[in-house]
Amino acid sequence: MSIEVRNLRKAFGTFVALDDVNLDVPGGELVALLGPSGSGKTTLLRIIAGLEPADQGLIRFEGEDTTDRPVRERQVGFVFQHYALFRHMSVFENIAFGLRVRPRPVRPSDEEIRDTVMGLLRLVQLEALGQRRPSELSGGQRQRVALARALAVKPKVLLLDEPFGALDAKVRKELRRWLRRLHEEVHVTSVFVTHDQEEALEVSDRVVIMNEGRVEQSGTPEEVYERPATPFVYGFLGDVNLFHGRIDRGRVKVGASELDAPEWAEARDQAGVAYVRTYDVELTPSSSGRSSIETIVRHIRAFGPVIRLELDRVEDGGSVEAHLPRAQYDKLGLVKGQRVFVSPTSVRVFAGPADGSAARIA
Amino acid sequence: MTTAAVFRSATAAPRAVTRATGESRVVRWLLISIALVFLALVLLLPLVLVFNQAFAKGLPAYWDAIVQPDALSAAKLTLLTAAIAVPANLLFGVAAAWCVTKFEFRGKSVLITLIDLPFAVSPVISGMIFVLLFGAQGWLGDWLFEHDIRIIFAVPGIVLATTFVTAPFVARELIPLMQEQGSEEEEAAIVLGASGWQTFFRVTLPNIKWGLLYGLILCNARAMGEFGAVSVVSGHIRGETNTLPLHVEILYNEYAFAASFAVASVLTLLALVTLALKTLVEKRMAS
Amino acid sequence: MRHNSRTVLPGFGLSLGITCTYLSLLVLIPLATVFTKTAELSGPAFWATVTDPRVVASYRVTFGASFVAALVNTVFGLLVAWVLVRYRFPGRRLVDAMVDLPFALPTAVAGIALTTLYVPNGWVGGYLEPLGIQVSYTWIGITVALIFIGLPFVVRTVQPVLDDLEVEVEEAAASLGARRWQTFTRVVFPTVAPALLTGFAMAFARAIGEYGSVVFISGNMPMKTEIVPLLIITKLEQYDYAGATAVALVMLVVSFLLLLTINLLQWVARRRLAV
Repeated sequence: MSIEVRNLRKAFGTFVALDDVNLDVPGGELVALLGPSGSGKTTLLRIIAGLEPADQGLIRFEGEDTTDRPVRERQVGFVFQHYALFRHMSVFENIAFGLRVRPRPVRPSDEEIRDTVMGLLRLVQLEALGQRRPSELSGGQRQRVALARALAVKPKVLLLDEPFGALDAKVRKELRRWLRRLHEEVHVTSVFVTHDQEEALEVSDRVVIMNEGRVEQSGTPEEVYERPATPFVYGFLGDVNLFHGRIDRGRVKVGASELDAPEWAEARDQAGVAYVRTYDVELTPSSSGRSSIETIVRHIRAFGPVIRLELDRVEDGGSVEAHLPRAQYDKLGLVKGQRVFVSPTSVRVFAGPADGSAARIA
Repeated sequence: MTTAAVFRSATAAPRAVTRATGESRVVRWLLISIALVFLALVLLLPLVLVFNQAFAKGLPAYWDAIVQPDALSAAKLTLLTAAIAVPANLLFGVAAAWCVTKFEFRGKSVLITLIDLPFAVSPVISGMIFVLLFGAQGWLGDWLFEHDIRIIFAVPGIVLATTFVTAPFVARELIPLMQEQGSEEEEAAIVLGASGWQTFFRVTLPNIKWGLLYGLILCNARAMGEFGAVSVVSGHIRGETNTLPLHVEILYNEYAFAASFAVASVLTLLALVTLALKTLVEKRMAS
Repeated sequence: MRHNSRTVLPGFGLSLGITCTYLSLLVLIPLATVFTKTAELSGPAFWATVTDPRVVASYRVTFGASFVAALVNTVFGLLVAWVLVRYRFPGRRLVDAMVDLPFALPTAVAGIALTTLYVPNGWVGGYLEPLGIQVSYTWIGITVALIFIGLPFVVRTVQPVLDDLEVEVEEAAASLGARRWQTFTRVVFPTVAPALLTGFAMAFARAIGEYGSVVFISGNMPMKTEIVPLLIITKLEQYDYAGATAVALVMLVVSFLLLLTINLLQWVARRRLAV
């Protein structure tokens, strides 16, 4: 089932959590809402679920307006960040809850409930733990119970709030892959909230990047990563170097260097920021042209397949981070304190001084 | 029983209720109304009545009832009793909390249960045990008689019974608090060269002062207001072994209602001050 | 007694010494008199004393009124706790503080105030009299006094549990299709039930020993409105020490059993609600 969000607005007192948000989730997709804390992603999820009323705007499920429908009639499955399992009930009863509270005429028989729950326990690989209490489970197991409980009511939409937020790194990775496989199996339209870019890019069909109550960009993981639409997205996804300068006739002047910016051919001496991914640079012992920036090696982290270098610009002491494949690094034979020239191989230029929130200089 | 532990009110503000989990306005309004009417009937009405009856015969009569010699001597005895029972239980409470929370030893859980014991005993029985011990027919009755020491139907009995009844208050408050705080800070102080007393006064005491004060407030309120236990050991000798609550009873039984409520209103004021202080300290403890 | 020498903190001997001495002198030795004094009675004499019709009648009054009062407090205590935790209304903080009044108000004051309220020409009794309801000097009056005394126990036991109840759990129930009432009966109530039961037991335990607030309103008619604590005092005043302690022993045993039950309930509640 598809979800449409139209002109959604929500404020808590003077704090604007959602500011005119529009969003389309095609049926059957697994979508990640990605953003820093306070970006409004959880609020959006809760409004889609019907846990929170919107101040303005519409939510449509499969074209049908559900804005004023109470949560229990929306047929959404919601997985809470801290699971919100019923502590006094066994795992089995937790999963059965949504079926047991149905009005008598549409309530499945005890046998049907048992079959459904056992099926879900198999699906989440917890067959043997049906009679345990939530307190007797590990974090990852609780997460899967919460998921099974949400799926038991055959929701049209599955919503997950930071589903892996409370787990340790190893379990996170496992559950991530597992969620992806599960989605391929049950294929219900799913939206999950996360602040972890790697998680969003790895698991989802589509990533929606939010910032300060607004949608910055929406697209496939490749799209948003390779073609960030805004400086914020650039800064939020992956490590990036920022070079402040002046844009003029298709070039950006950064100190003594000049970088190509063909899309700014019309610009005449205006402030701009060049964004360069840490791996989109070439290092050479001597200057290789106008775009070379002179730096000194400050620190080398030489382990693993990718070598991370911290460089200081000679001109103004600004910091540049470069990630090099090991082979290339070995060839250069760099040492701390050495002079080296950095040439960006791919530059994206945005006008204006970079706004503070995007300035995640690597 | 953990009276002191449940005594504390929750000061957290109510959370904002979202549409998904709130009741409708009508239901909410109905529930609030029922609760408030119930509380007004059970708590507020008696309170209002005390002051209404106290001033039933006018301000001069009220004043007379309070400054009457018997009332004043009862007030003096009440203050004296509290002045002995509260510090004694403070010392006991701190010592008990220290050994229970800072050390592991066999029989600890039994000790904690024993500390709570006086709360589980009826006030009447709390008074009775001292009669059995020190009364004319008691264990020590003959010996005390020979040495002309009076405990029952005298001030020492009243103090003992009151101390018994209020013994757990400070300890009950401190034990969970000190358990939660752990011993790391004290250990750090010892490692830095502080003596035991220095550690207690400079590290422990500042950490537990609000909890301690809380326990003392409750302890004091009960010490000044205790009726059942004191009633058994007092003998009701006017001007000698009457505390304020006993004086209220005597006046009431003599049909001196206005005077009785006048004295009662003083105790009620004390209760209200206790509640106010308690609320203030709770706020401090929460922050 | 030796403590585990894992800590460098001093004062074990001193603090344990003070605690044990104080407890022994003030609590244990005096309480032991109940047992030694009762032991002066032969078995049959003890049995005759504690099953005397007047004594049995007083058990009935005390336990019956205490039970009803604790039950009323359970219902209204839950309501009051719910309203205080969940709703905002003017004067909420004041009401919250007032709930503890029965703890702070001397019982004798409560006793005379309640009696004066419920006598036939009193503020409340005046309205009940025409309806043929006599409160003061009946078991209803005793129950009213015990409701006053026991209310904070239930409210203060339930309140923190309600406060800790995550809103998410209720949201989860709602998102799974539960109606508000279903959410309450299936999710909220089972969660607070152990605390509610603990509150009930505490209110009941306090009520069976209560003397000051009851003695004025009860009328103290033997066989009808005589509570056990008063009967003990009466026996003491008649110098029937052995009789008084025999009855007291019965009450002590009941109190200890209740204390054990309460501790067990709290233990169960903690286990059950642990995450």
